[in-house]
Amino acid sequence: MRWATRAGVHIDRAACAWLIRRFIDPDAAFVFVDDPAAVPTEATPFDMRGVELGHQGGDCSFETILRRYDLTDPVLWQLAEIVHEADLEDERFDAPEARGLDVVLRGLSMTLPDEEILNLTGPLFDGLYEYHRRATLLGRPPA
Amino acid sequence: MIGYPTTSAPGQWVLLCYRLPREPSTPRIAVWRKLKRLGVAQLGDGLVALPADARTREHLEWVADEVTEAGGTASVWLALPASRRQERDLAHQMATARAAEYAAIAAHAAAADDAPSSLGLLRRLRAEFARVTRRDFFPPTERGAARAALDDLATETRAEVAT
Repeated sequence: MRWATRAGVHIDRAACAWLIRRFIDPDAAFVFVDDPAAVPTEATPFDMRGVELGHQGGDCSFETILRRYDLTDPVLWQLAEIVHEADLEDERFDAPEARGLDVVLRGLSMTLPDEEILNLTGPLFDGLYEYHRRATLLGRPPA
Repeated sequence: MIGYPTTSAPGQWVLLCYRLPREPSTPRIAVWRKLKRLGVAQLGDGLVALPADARTREHLEWVADEVTEAGGTASVWLALPASRRQERDLAHQMATARAAEYAAIAAHAAAADDAPSSLGLLRRLRAEFARVTRRDFFPPTERGAARAALDDLATETRAEVAT
């Protein structure tokens, strides 16, 4: 399936792409567009203005996708708090990782094209997921 | 005293033009808080501006969506000030607002002597400093003074913990 999002990937789009590939569509292919009108007809748009899988009622797109696809895994909701804070900075959640992650992603967006950022951040989110999975099981930081 | 833009040509700005119904007031207040948090310059009634970059543009676009969701109208524009003077005035307005916020942080840090726990205060003020820095596009000298006051407070706190 094809998925489309805005070019100039940052935290929310990188996290959404990882989420889509890992939990919704393993064969996902991503298209980056500069204008909402440029989304190919067969592609599902996300994290763009005025689309279903965008910011909704104070949620970031990552949270919207979790809701839309009924993903109830508590570890994913833990990651959602980090993504939300890194993206919206509204202090709805206490997610101290968010600031560092935001800086890393902003830096990458200055040095790499979007496809490469997704290739790089995939394993990064795998690691974040595993860390929080173990933390959830243990009830404390796993390392 | 203020880090004015010194380049010869004015830079690009992103503008949000919006109108929200007077009632209900909750979305109005939510939008106003968000804009305040972003450190926008007020150009007029329902017209705000930020220096354009990937982050500021994105944030204003999401605010625009929020306005539309709440039954209002909004549009986002990329604009160039017609003169450097105009841009300097805007930068001055924004730097003055940040300067007051930094001064408040420095004052709180300096008055920390009678606080029961300066560690908690230090954490709070550092978080506030980070928030102000995030919306500080034309750093005033007060930023350095606030930084120094926080460093002093950190030194005192370490000494306190050691004794």
